Amino acid sequence: MFYVKIFFQYMSQYIKTRLQYRTDIFVEFFSDLLSQAINLIFILVVFGHTQFLNGWNRDEIIFIYGFFLVPFAVFSAFFNIWDFNERYIVKGELDRILTRPIHSLFQIILERMELEALLGAITGLAVMLYAGLHLHINVEWYDPLLFIFFVIGGVLIYGGIFIMLACISFWADARTSLMPMMYNISNYGRYPVNIYNHIIRFVLTWILPFAFVGVYPAAFFLEKQEWFWYSFLTPVMGIIFFTISVILWNQGIKRYRGAGN
Amino acid sequence: MKLDKYLEMIRIRFLMMLAYRTNYYTGILIYSINIGAYYFLWSAIYGSKEQIQGLSVTQMTTYVAISWMARAFYFNNLDREMAMEIKEGRVAVELIRPYNYLGMKTMQGLGEGIFRLIFFSVPGFILVYLLFPIQLSWKPDIWALFAVSILLSFFINTELNLLTGITTFFLYNNTGLIRAKRVVIDLFSGLLLPMSFFPGWAQEVMRYLPFQGISYIPSMIFTEGFTHHQAFEAIGQQFLWVILLFIPIRLIWSIAKKQIVIQGG
Amino acid sequence: MNAIEVKNLRKEFKAYSSRSGLAGAFRDLFTRNYKIIPAVNDINFTVKQGEMVGYIGENGAGKSTTIKMLTGILTPTSGEITVNGMNPHKEREKFVQTIGVVFGQRSQLWWDIAVQESFRLLKKVYKVSDEQYNNHMDHVIKTLDIEPLLDKPVRKLSLGQRMRCELAAALIHNPPLLFLDEPTIGLDVLVKLKIRDFLKEINEKYNTTILLTTHDLSDIEALCERVIMLDEGKVIYDGALKKLKETMDDGKEVQFQFLQNVDLTQVTALTAGMPVKWELNEKEQLFTAYIEDQDELISQLISKVVSAYKIKDIKINETSTEELIRNIYEKGAVEVG
Repeated sequence: MFYVKIFFQYMSQYIKTRLQYRTDIFVEFFSDLLSQAINLIFILVVFGHTQFLNGWNRDEIIFIYGFFLVPFAVFSAFFNIWDFNERYIVKGELDRILTRPIHSLFQIILERMELEALLGAITGLAVMLYAGLHLHINVEWYDPLLFIFFVIGGVLIYGGIFIMLACISFWADARTSLMPMMYNISNYGRYPVNIYNHIIRFVLTWILPFAFVGVYPAAFFLEKQEWFWYSFLTPVMGIIFFTISVILWNQGIKRYRGAGN
Repeated sequence: MKLDKYLEMIRIRFLMMLAYRTNYYTGILIYSINIGAYYFLWSAIYGSKEQIQGLSVTQMTTYVAISWMARAFYFNNLDREMAMEIKEGRVAVELIRPYNYLGMKTMQGLGEGIFRLIFFSVPGFILVYLLFPIQLSWKPDIWALFAVSILLSFFINTELNLLTGITTFFLYNNTGLIRAKRVVIDLFSGLLLPMSFFPGWAQEVMRYLPFQGISYIPSMIFTEGFTHHQAFEAIGQQFLWVILLFIPIRLIWSIAKKQIVIQGG
Repeated sequence: MNAIEVKNLRKEFKAYSSRSGLAGAFRDLFTRNYKIIPAVNDINFTVKQGEMVGYIGENGAGKSTTIKMLTGILTPTSGEITVNGMNPHKEREKFVQTIGVVFGQRSQLWWDIAVQESFRLLKKVYKVSDEQYNNHMDHVIKTLDIEPLLDKPVRKLSLGQRMRCELAAALIHNPPLLFLDEPTIGLDVLVKLKIRDFLKEINEKYNTTILLTTHDLSDIEALCERVIMLDEGKVIYDGALKKLKETMDDGKEVQFQFLQNVDLTQVTALTAGMPVKWELNEKEQLFTAYIEDQDELISQLISKVVSAYKIKDIKINETSTEELIRNIYEKGAVEVG
C-alpha cells in the first residue's frame, strides 16, 4: 500500500515538473509519433514489393507492430534507465537514493518516469484497430483481459532485460553503450520469428525474449494456433525475467562502491 | 602549425574511446546481430524473387552490411554533447579557448569515427562477411570512390548534428528534436532501405534533400548498384551538400553566440 | 545507549591504473593493472546518543567511505557496524528511516520543483504524519529562516539558501542521528553561523546525535566536544578536542609590539637563561616569544620585557587548531596519556 501511495506522490510531483516545460512534452510526443510513423512506412514500403512475409500478410505485420507499441510505451514510461550508469553511478546519485527508506530500484523507476511515453500506447491501439478491422478479427469477451496480461508480461520482460543491463554497472566500472544498442535488437520481436534462422529464433525466445513483446502474444489475437503455446507463456516469461533482474539488482547494490571518495 | 591542435584533438578522442573497452566487445556482436536480422527480413521479403528494383538478394545483404558498418564511421553524438555543454554552461569555457568550437567538435567526431572504423567496422565487416553471403568487390576504383563518399557522408551527417546542437541555444530542451532527427536520418538516408524502394514521388522529393548523401550513396557505390557515371554524379551531389550546409551553420552560429552573451553563459 | 558502534571496520577498493600512451591503452584493452587499497583500515569507535562528533582527516583519508558505510550506502569488506541498533546495509530501508543525511556537494531536493514540494514528497517517503510534521518542521523552518524560500524552485536558490533547505529536508522525519558530510563547504560566514546555531539547538532539544565531517575546523571547534581523526584509513586520534589541544600544545606564543626601536639580539639577551625562543616579523615589527605553557614562566617573561622597554601591545595566543592538526599529520600519530 505504502508503495502505491508513494507512486502517486511521485507522479503528481512529476506532472508539476513537466508542466513547467510544456513545449517539451509536445516536441517529445511528436518525435515519438515520428519514429512510429517511420516504422510503419518501412513496413508499407516493403509490402509495396511483396505480398507475404513467410505466410504473414501486410495487415498482420502491422497488427504485430501495433501490439508491440503498447508494452513498449509502458516500458518507456517506467523503465527509463538507459543512462543509469552515467546518472547514478558516475555522478553518484545512487548515494542519495540509498539514504531513503524505499527500495532503490523502485525509487529510480519513480524518479525517472516519463509518463508522456504512454501516449505511444494510444498510437499502438489505433494501429491495432486499423489492422484488426482490415483483418476482420473477432473480439471475444476474454480478449481484453488476455491483452492486459500479455502487455504486463511484455513490459516485465522488457524491464527485466534492461534492469539486468543496468546491473552490469555494478560489476564493471567501464561505461557501456549496450543499452541503446539493445533497443535495436528489441525491434526484431516485431517481426514474425519464423523469418529468422533457428539460432536467432532461439535467442529471441529464450535469451533476449523480445519475441514475447510482439509477435508471440499478437499471434494469439491473429488466431495463429501454432503459436498459442508461446502466447500463453508471455506472462510467465515476464515474471521469470523480472524476478531474476530484481535479484541481480539486489546483489549489485551490495557491490556498489560509491562514487569518488 | 594551426592544424596541430585539431590533430591532437583527434588523438585525444581516440585515446578516450580506447578507454571504454567494453563497448567494442559487445558492439561488434550487436551490430552483427542487427545486420543478421535485416538479412533474414530481406530474405523473407525477396522470397523466391530474383531481383527487386534492380538489386539481387546478395546485393541487398551487402547493402545492409555496408550501410551499418559505414554508419559506425559517420555516426556521432555531437548534437547531444553540444546540448549538454550548452545547458551546463560549459560552452562559455569552450568559447574562450583559442580554437574554433565547431571545428573542434568536428575533429572530435572524426577521431571517434576513425577509431570505430578501425576497431569496429573492419573487424565487424570481416565477421559479417564470414556469416552471411556478401558480395565483395576488389576493384580499386570502387574502393576509392567509396572512401571519398563515406568521408563526405561523415561531413554531411556531422553538419546536420552541429545544426541540431546549436538549436539548444534557442530551445531550452531539444532532446525531442535530436531524437526526431536521428529517426528521420535512419529512414531517409537509406540506412533501413535503399531509396529505390520508395515510391516514385518520394524518391523525387528525397533527391532535393541532403539525407541520401549520408548512407544511400556510399552503400550503392560499394554494392556496385551505381554505374561509374552515376557514382561521380552522386559524389558531386554530396560535395555540394557539404558546402551548402555550411552556410546555415555559420549563420545560426553567429546568432547563437550573441545569445550566449545575453544568457551569461 | 550507543548510537554508533564500529568494530574492526574495513573497506578495500580495487584501484586500476592505466598505462601511458597509445600502446599502453591497447594493452589496457585486454588486461589492466590494479592494486587493492584499504580505504578504511580496521577502525573501531563508538558514539553515544546525543554526542556531537567531528570526523576529520585529509582528502582520501577514508572519511567519506566510513560515512557511506555507516549510512548503508556501501557494504564493508569486513568488520561490524551497528547504528541505531541495526546493521545499516542489511536492513537498509528500515534503517535509513532513523537517520538524516546531508551531503554538502549533492542535492537531496528536486531541482525543478518548489522546495515545499520536495518537503511534501519526502514527508510521504518517510511516513511522517501531518501532526508530527507541523510540530517539528514549523520550528525548523523558522529557525533556519527558510520560510520565504519554500515556494521557489531549488535551481533558483543560492548555495547558502539551498544548504539550509537541504538541512531542513534531512530533518523532516526528526531522526535521532544526523550525518553531515561537508555541510558548510563554500558557504559564507553568516550562513555558517546560522547552521551551527541550528545544529546546537536540535542537539539540545532532541538529543540528536551528530556526526560531522568537514574541512573547516572552526565548525568542529564550535560544535564538537569530541573528534575522531583519520589518516590513511586508520584512526589516529579519538577523544576530546580540548585534550588533544592540551597534549599537543607545545606552549604559548606571546607577541610584543614596542614603542621604541628594539632588535632581536637585545630581547634575546634580556631573557637569557629562560626557555624562550624569539622570532621577529620584520614588516610589522612583531616580536613573538615561544614559551612553555606555565603561568609562572609567562608572567616572568612579561615582567622582564615590560620593565625594559615601552610597550605598544601584548597578545598571548594559543597554538591554533589548524596548526595543531597540521602538526599531527606531520608527525603521523598522537599519543595521549
